[in-house]
Amino acid sequence: MWPNFTTSMPLWSWLAILAVPPAIVILYFLKLKRRPIEVPSTFLWRKSIEDLHVNSLWQRLRQNLLLLLQLLLMLLVILALLGPSWQGRELADDRFIFLVDNSASMQAKDANPTRLERAKKLVAEYIDAMPSGAVAMIVSFADGAHVEQTFTDNRAELKRRLALIKPSAHTTSLVEALQVASGLANPGRSAFGEGDVSAAAALEATMYIFSDGKAVQPADFALGNLKAEFVPIGKPEVANLGIVAFNVGRNEERNNELQAFARVQNFGTAEVKTIISLMLDGAQIDAVEATILASSTQGVVFPLPGFGGGVLEVRIQATDDFPLDNTAWMPVEPPRPGRVLLVTPGNKPLMRALTTEHAKRVATVIEIGPAHLGTEDYRLEAASGAYDLIIFDQCTPKTMPEANTLFIGSLPPEGWKSEGTIVNPVVIDVDRLHPLTQYIDFSNVLIVESRGKLESPTGGRVLLDTTKGPILSIAPRGGFVDAVLGFNLVNSQEWETTWPVRPSFSVFGMNVLQYLGGGSESLSSMGATPGQTVALRHPGVLKSVVVKTPGGESITVPRSNRNTYEFSATDELGVYQILWDEKDQQELAVNLFSPEESDIAPATKLNLGATEVQEGERTEQVAPQPGWKPLLLAALAVLLFEWYIFNRRVYL
Amino acid sequence: MATTDTPLLTPEFLARLEQLELVSRKVFRGRLKGERKSPRKGHSVEFADYRNYVVGDDLRFIDWNTYARLDRLFLKLHFEEEDLHFYLLLDDSRSMDFGAPTKFWYARQVAAALGFIGLVHSDRVVIERLNQPAQEQGVTLRGRASLWRMMDYLQGIKAEGGTRLAQGVKNFCIRHRGRGIVVLISDLMDKSGYEDALRYLVAQQMDAYVIQVLSREETDPELTGDLRLVDCEDGDMAEVTVSAPLLKKYKQTLNAFVGGAREYCNRRGMSYLLTNTQQPFENLVTSYLRTRGLVR
Repeated sequence: MWPNFTTSMPLWSWLAILAVPPAIVILYFLKLKRRPIEVPSTFLWRKSIEDLHVNSLWQRLRQNLLLLLQLLLMLLVILALLGPSWQGRELADDRFIFLVDNSASMQAKDANPTRLERAKKLVAEYIDAMPSGAVAMIVSFADGAHVEQTFTDNRAELKRRLALIKPSAHTTSLVEALQVASGLANPGRSAFGEGDVSAAAALEATMYIFSDGKAVQPADFALGNLKAEFVPIGKPEVANLGIVAFNVGRNEERNNELQAFARVQNFGTAEVKTIISLMLDGAQIDAVEATILASSTQGVVFPLPGFGGGVLEVRIQATDDFPLDNTAWMPVEPPRPGRVLLVTPGNKPLMRALTTEHAKRVATVIEIGPAHLGTEDYRLEAASGAYDLIIFDQCTPKTMPEANTLFIGSLPPEGWKSEGTIVNPVVIDVDRLHPLTQYIDFSNVLIVESRGKLESPTGGRVLLDTTKGPILSIAPRGGFVDAVLGFNLVNSQEWETTWPVRPSFSVFGMNVLQYLGGGSESLSSMGATPGQTVALRHPGVLKSVVVKTPGGESITVPRSNRNTYEFSATDELGVYQILWDEKDQQELAVNLFSPEESDIAPATKLNLGATEVQEGERTEQVAPQPGWKPLLLAALAVLLFEWYIFNRRVYL
Repeated sequence: MATTDTPLLTPEFLARLEQLELVSRKVFRGRLKGERKSPRKGHSVEFADYRNYVVGDDLRFIDWNTYARLDRLFLKLHFEEEDLHFYLLLDDSRSMDFGAPTKFWYARQVAAALGFIGLVHSDRVVIERLNQPAQEQGVTLRGRASLWRMMDYLQGIKAEGGTRLAQGVKNFCIRHRGRGIVVLISDLMDKSGYEDALRYLVAQQMDAYVIQVLSREETDPELTGDLRLVDCEDGDMAEVTVSAPLLKKYKQTLNAFVGGAREYCNRRGMSYLLTNTQQPFENLVTSYLRTRGLVR
């Protein structure tokens, strides 16, 4: 349908304007300026001219391409000056905020090519439909918000920034994005009651949210001066199978065997039959055919006989619109016994508790005397973190080692305090939630005496409390943990307590080895979700560690002042390699594991606080669309062509 | 650009020209003893004919062998060796002063080269201009010693005035009734036509050569736009709007003109040669004119 053509000029003006080109043609021929050129003889030229009759009017007109182009140029300029316009539509309002969802679910391929690309294309159309002089802002959001472009009326810049929005594997949350959008429309007020004034003038804005709606929505958000419109992206009828959990554990029936467990959920409305395969270090080792009912989950078990560690990967073979959740990884390290150093003048009960058959699977215990604390060997080992746990029984080192510690009857050289002694303390409280004191019964334990007023450094926690004060406390020290037991277990003369002969003492010994000793009788693996910061630890003291992402990029992570390596670039899904040194490396898996993201059927509404925002069309108003721009562009093109003709001397 | 300071001929080319000589297709009678065969009977060693003895003849030329056989007295006749009359007729109209190098400079170079060949072989070389007054004689030169006088003369003449081919050739024929070789060097751009002029030459019964010289601006004009062409000789103006068809038509007209001149000359026993100022004149003299038979 041809748009309605309007003009501000009356008909007689048009007629007058259209009479100008013929007048110019007439003038052109009347005042045709010819350039004089001397030639040896006009003898042959005259003969040629007579044959061609080139002096006829129409011949000159036909052959003068430049004149024709000048006429066309002038016509286009006149038309542009007349200010023609077409009746069109544009967005109502003059201030816009475009929120673009770039979370994991927006990588679904039900919109060609992806939902995010579809959203970007729609935003570009909205930008084109903005009225003249309107300003807009672009904010991308996943689990956090990022302002891609602050308010501007430069449409080219808006589109350029829009194109730079990249997809992410993060989950979705509207909270931060709405706070950013609300920050302008609803400026914050001063914190003090009387004379409360606005920090800045409120600016109304229309906010368009381009998302599939799979977002955490704020419970207590007020739109205020914002007008919200929801533009859902994605097809309503989509099917997706996703892996929502994957781990490895011991076979409950056969304890020496391991198993891999995967949970697959069908987010579609139809039953799906597919093959789920298990890979170890890139090679397939098992596959299971599974039929998953609509809107339900199914667990899949893979036995792992003789498994000694490696990177496990479970993969759904079916092709669906959301491939990000079709694969999950788990790097598994084999059990590694902890390294424990016991510095004691002699403590047979303690040694027995730490070297049971069960305890040997968890940690290796080495015993030395307090005299060795002054040796160079000890100093080097303690400083290099050669041990996961050092137990100081009735002795104290000069400096704290790079390891967890347990002090029995003594205090660390710094940070801890005690005053006097307490006699026959009765335990009134045991912190059974803490791994060190879980499963411990202290009701039948007698203690002769203990350090009084035991005080731990900041962040400490009391694990055993008596009527006369704490007797067992624990406190963090950088990346390590120090525990202090205020009473001796034995001395050279006699028993200090009946605890070693109670069953709970052996349990305490196992708790110490498992919690403080660094060992594990089970498999361990490191995992994270996209965007999560992971604190990496290493027994050695390295300035930094290199982490290689699944995409092949190498990132150097420096050691923090808490003796950990904070790695936050977990945006990609897959297995990250942590390269401590040439021989020592670990793996870290980043998996989506988000049913909210895997359920890719787009929502039809959003709940922003108390306001329900339905899917709606953009608010438009009728507005004249000026036509002078294309006319001027055409005039410029004609001018360039005329210049080309003039310079190249092209003839008809 | 050639100037009066630039020599018409280089010493190297002069050395090459010494190997050449002018050739006449007919035998012409000269005034002085030269190196050419003359129809007149004279005293060379080459036998020509017999005639009867009359009283008073020189007894030294009686052929006694013939008398012994026929018992009659006969006189032996021999060919006389005389010089060749070589005429160079230059078009010195303003239209010749066009091009780079100018047609006039080119024509003078050709004239100097041919004149030098004649001088080296003791021919009588006469150089005349079409626009010189009827009573004025051109320069007559003979012998190698006249070379520099010829060069000075050619360097000093200027191209001015209109093209009057017919009148100029007519005046030349009136001034020189003798026989010989005449070389007309002109662009033939006379609005009255070249036919009358060439007819005069034919009537003179000379060995005539016509060298038409054109410039690149005439053979391949690079004109564009709306122009007013002004004739440099008579100020005649022609308004044109240059286009591809016009240029094409002009070249056709030029080819027809040149073709007409060639045919006119060939039919009347004159040699015609078209040259362009872009063509090295050395090649013209040593190659083309050799092919035409003017030099060898």
